[in-house]
Amino acid sequence: MKPPPFTYVAATSVAEAVAALAAHDGEAKVIAGGQSLVPMLNFRLLAPAALVDINGIRELDFVDATADGGLRIGALTRHYTLLTSPDVAERFPVLGEAMRHVAHLAIRNRGTIGGSLSHADPAAELPMMVTLLDATLTVAGPGGERQLAAADFFDGALTTVLAEDELLTTITLPPLPQPHGWGFHEFAQRAGDFALAAAAVVLTADDGAAANVRLAVMGVDENPSRIAAAEAALVGQPVSDDTIAAAAAAVREAVDPPEDLHGSATYRRHLVGGLVERAIRDAWARATGNAGGAA
Amino acid sequence: MDNLPEDLPADLNLMEMRPKIIGARVQRVEDPRLLTGTGQYTADIKLPNMAHLAFRRSEMAHATIDNIDVSAALAVPGVIAVYTAEDFYGQITPPRAESKTEGFHSTPILPLADGKVRHVGEVVVAVVAESRYIAEDAAEHIEIDFTPLPVIADPREAVKNEVLLHDDAGTNVLVDRTFGRGEVDDAFSQAAHIVGGDFRTTRKTASPIEARAAVCEWDRGRRTLTLWSATQVPGVIRDTIGDVFGLSGSHVRVIAPDVGGGFGCKTCLYPEEMVACAAAIKLGQPVKWVSDRMEDLVGTNQAFDEYVHAELAVDAEGHILGLRADVVGDSGAYSIYPWTAALEPVQVISFLPGPYRMPAYAARTRAVATPKTPLGAYRGIGRPTATFVMERLVDLAARAAGIDPVEMRRRNLVQPHEFPYRTGSGLVWDRVGFIESLDAVTDSIGYDDLRAEQLKMREAGRKVGLGVVCYAELGGIGSRIAVAPGMPINTGVETANIRIDATGAITANFGTASNGQGLETTLAQVVAEELGCRVEDVEIRHGDTSLMAHGSGSYASRSAVLAGGAATVSAREVRANVLKVAAMIMEVAESDIDMVGSRIYVPGTDREMTLKQVAHTYYQEMGRLPKEVREEVPLESTRSFDPYLGTAACASHAALVEVDPVTWGVKILKYAAAEDCGRIINPDVADGQMRGGIAQGVGVALLEEIIHDEDGQILTASLVDYVLPSAVEVPIMDVMHVESENPDNGTGFRGLGEGGIIGAPAAIANAIADALDIDIREIPITPEKLFRQTGN
Amino acid sequence: MIPKVPITVTVNGRTYEREVPPRLHLADFLREDLHLTGTHVGCEHGICGACTILLNGDSVRSCLTFAVQANGAEITTVEGLGTPDDLSPLQQAFREHHALQCGFCTPGMLMSTIDLMQKGTPATEEAVRGALSGNLCRCTGYENIVRAVLAAMEAAGPEGKAAEGTENEAGANG
Repeated sequence: MKPPPFTYVAATSVAEAVAALAAHDGEAKVIAGGQSLVPMLNFRLLAPAALVDINGIRELDFVDATADGGLRIGALTRHYTLLTSPDVAERFPVLGEAMRHVAHLAIRNRGTIGGSLSHADPAAELPMMVTLLDATLTVAGPGGERQLAAADFFDGALTTVLAEDELLTTITLPPLPQPHGWGFHEFAQRAGDFALAAAAVVLTADDGAAANVRLAVMGVDENPSRIAAAEAALVGQPVSDDTIAAAAAAVREAVDPPEDLHGSATYRRHLVGGLVERAIRDAWARATGNAGGAA
Repeated sequence: MDNLPEDLPADLNLMEMRPKIIGARVQRVEDPRLLTGTGQYTADIKLPNMAHLAFRRSEMAHATIDNIDVSAALAVPGVIAVYTAEDFYGQITPPRAESKTEGFHSTPILPLADGKVRHVGEVVVAVVAESRYIAEDAAEHIEIDFTPLPVIADPREAVKNEVLLHDDAGTNVLVDRTFGRGEVDDAFSQAAHIVGGDFRTTRKTASPIEARAAVCEWDRGRRTLTLWSATQVPGVIRDTIGDVFGLSGSHVRVIAPDVGGGFGCKTCLYPEEMVACAAAIKLGQPVKWVSDRMEDLVGTNQAFDEYVHAELAVDAEGHILGLRADVVGDSGAYSIYPWTAALEPVQVISFLPGPYRMPAYAARTRAVATPKTPLGAYRGIGRPTATFVMERLVDLAARAAGIDPVEMRRRNLVQPHEFPYRTGSGLVWDRVGFIESLDAVTDSIGYDDLRAEQLKMREAGRKVGLGVVCYAELGGIGSRIAVAPGMPINTGVETANIRIDATGAITANFGTASNGQGLETTLAQVVAEELGCRVEDVEIRHGDTSLMAHGSGSYASRSAVLAGGAATVSAREVRANVLKVAAMIMEVAESDIDMVGSRIYVPGTDREMTLKQVAHTYYQEMGRLPKEVREEVPLESTRSFDPYLGTAACASHAALVEVDPVTWGVKILKYAAAEDCGRIINPDVADGQMRGGIAQGVGVALLEEIIHDEDGQILTASLVDYVLPSAVEVPIMDVMHVESENPDNGTGFRGLGEGGIIGAPAAIANAIADALDIDIREIPITPEKLFRQTGN
Repeated sequence: MIPKVPITVTVNGRTYEREVPPRLHLADFLREDLHLTGTHVGCEHGICGACTILLNGDSVRSCLTFAVQANGAEITTVEGLGTPDDLSPLQQAFREHHALQCGFCTPGMLMSTIDLMQKGTPATEEAVRGALSGNLCRCTGYENIVRAVLAAMEAAGPEGKAAEGTENEAGANG
């Protein structure tokens, strides 16, 4: 399981990286943490002519708290940094919780948010979180930068709209209403594995009614997605067993889960509904100050 | 035992003063090197001018090979040679494991596929290059034209012989064997309850973290082949490689250096070992092959693939009356060497009656060739399947009869006064703690209280279940019983050679080989205790065929029993001779002296010598001893040990599980196991064997499954999809040892290495069945299966 | 042919200058070029953890890192801990708790443990199991490894944690 030969470019700036990508005419791959790319190389599922290493672009490794209450995150930020960032914990605790489910220590030390988003695994936590949190992704290319909504970034399993000479540089998370409640539930057969499914919910309790509801799921479609019908089922009334059931039903209705070795579509549909229910309960408990009761 | 010297000191007080070494928690001798990266595994071996081997493997399950074009591969810079099957004609005589078992048909083990491929992952072309990287590059450039042949992946279909995998065998049914005892039909006609049905254990692979590896060097001048191999059985490999290449045993040396786990999968001769040797001979340069994980998942022998139909008949009080079984084992593409395709499917019906009184038994088993990776040995061999099926049957019968499952077992276990007990399949259980281990485990978990607690948890809506199982196994098997039925080699004996050299150092050589279980420590403990020295005074050597005339290796829970037995008799003989020599030097009667901690002394006096002084006098000081002493009283002994029959070992396991009704994930809340391995040499090592086995059993029960599609393609060719348990999935375990005496095999040691994995799948299955009030018929028990089975 | 790339790396305190093909795994570089065979290769796709080393202080998979990427880096491998005659406290804890059998996963376990300790993993059974879940062992059933790590944590005390370690749950998996 040795990778095929490639040439190696160690980029030290975004411009250098983009230029190197362009120079290879689609035959180059960006390597950041390499935690998804290198296994594919080792299995010889990919044979790029060149790897453009962006680990030397230090200015892409940052977590900045923005004045509006959001965050700007550099694409080279390691999973471990996100997991332990006080700003993440304070402003986006749902993201902090999701990071607890990402792989293992050695992978988190190396893996990056930009790499995870660009790899676009349907069962990875970070694509789901940027979808849930309505992130804006900044992409650099030969012609300059462009901004994309997270929802427009993913284009099917393991596929994004990134051009071959583009590099994801920054992830901007707009602020969440504070205080808010959140919930995150995931199921994998083995700790740290890619999930069979996961659900995340963020909401506020405004005068006893759910508001600002965001609900996203993953592992049950080619890309993670927010489920508008489920969000609608919750908005404007207190969260109850009935609204939770309605939201879960809406999720099960909306998703089109894949079949694979570890779970059928039917099972995944069942599973994601159950995870959604748990995530809503947790979010509502937190939003209404009853977090002690949250699972 | 008539082969034990009668040299036990008469003075019992002395015995009691002696530090107990057997049974002590001695820290392992192996650890300092293994903890510091200074051990040497096969992949660590580097020889001058060494070349690297990679394979092009079949991507087809069953196909003819019409043409192989290697020209592009040969053109890759750094490639030294590319070989196909024809290149080894005349050089390699493919071995063929024969068996005297009824209805057996043999298959060869080929170095490379010849004219036809029979499973995905079969080696077709070998590439030797300056580096593994280059060899893999070149392997990609080989063009193979295949014509697909029909694939019958299901062994239940393959028995019809509509498509033959091996034309010369004339059938896909490589073994067809029946066992019977008593009047089974009568038993079933008298039964108050009959339970049973179809059970299934799907394919697993042992997956040691060190995959297989081989380094071969050919000394042209001396015509001597040295093969370092990550194998459990260097002796078997030496004997076979000699035949394969027409070399005498003195010209083949097989070394198993530090081995990174085996669990059975490294007990066979593999094609890659033959190819590494053949290439090294052809090229006159050392050749190294290290299996990568993908190769391991398609090319290393797999296990556990059986379909079992079984029924149990009990009377109104739950007493077992009879058992019927029909097993179809999926043997994969080849009958493995040396154990044959009979190995696992026959073990299933051999062990199915379990530790229970079984008045009537009828069973049939078939080993069926299919175009998949061969089925080989994996820890427990057949017994995990047998125990899963039998223990499900016992629980089903208990439920049908309205009896508590533990009480059901107590009623049916062979009782102490009934030993030795011949089971329905003909195995004999010698005196062993069936009841004692069940008592120990139910006491440990507090069975009655736990049942009450379980009721409360269930009333609160939690899906919690408790499973308790019992099993018996046979380890340390002597020459009377074949490890695999009718196979061609003697596995019933091991030999120790212990000597004190001119410096006074003690070296103990063994024909067996450790693959990580700590034999250098446990055998040193046996030698130290029996000889009268300290553990650190003994150098244990093993895993090298140049040490001994004959030996096989570690498998079938045999090394502690057989090598431990050989160490015992050999050390006693050396001790007797040391005392005889020392008595002459010290001019006292032999009966007046003792040796403890390498110190030879006359009790009650200050007269003593060190072993070093005795050795120096014996070897170097001419004239101090009569010449007859050196000629007739060697400070060395080579003795073999053959326990003749096997020794029974047994255990009871209990698992408390909770199932999440949303995810259908299973969490093991509590786990306990009590086993009887007889006299324990090192409690840490014994414990470790159990814990490791149970962890593998957790994987077997809940996670691990090699999956092929109907075209014979493997869908689980990575550790992402073949899911091994991590520290999170493996529970805390309460492991207990019941050391029942075994006076019949000389040492009191019983085999232990396999037990954990035998009981755990059954215990977890019974617990899940209890939690959800469902029947469990198949392992692994995945969330998907539970979801479907609970009516979704 | 793709040209080799010159690199300078410091491994266990010793600096090496070598030329390597870009595709050379860091694990193979350590094992083949530097003869440091204590780092083991178990799966080459990042699942088993046997090849875990410290790269600039953090645990990483050396099968998922290329040697060229380690240019200028400081690396610690198992050979940089104790010696057979002078085991480190962690190695000693592993020995005392019988936390290894075949030893093949052990170097990776040790390196992961160093990192989980310096990152302030709580000294609880659950947290340690979670933090070690990226290192597979087929021999021990993990329990003795967990005991050894907990014992090493206790022996190291709060000072045993590196200064940068915040009270996080480095390994906790839901």
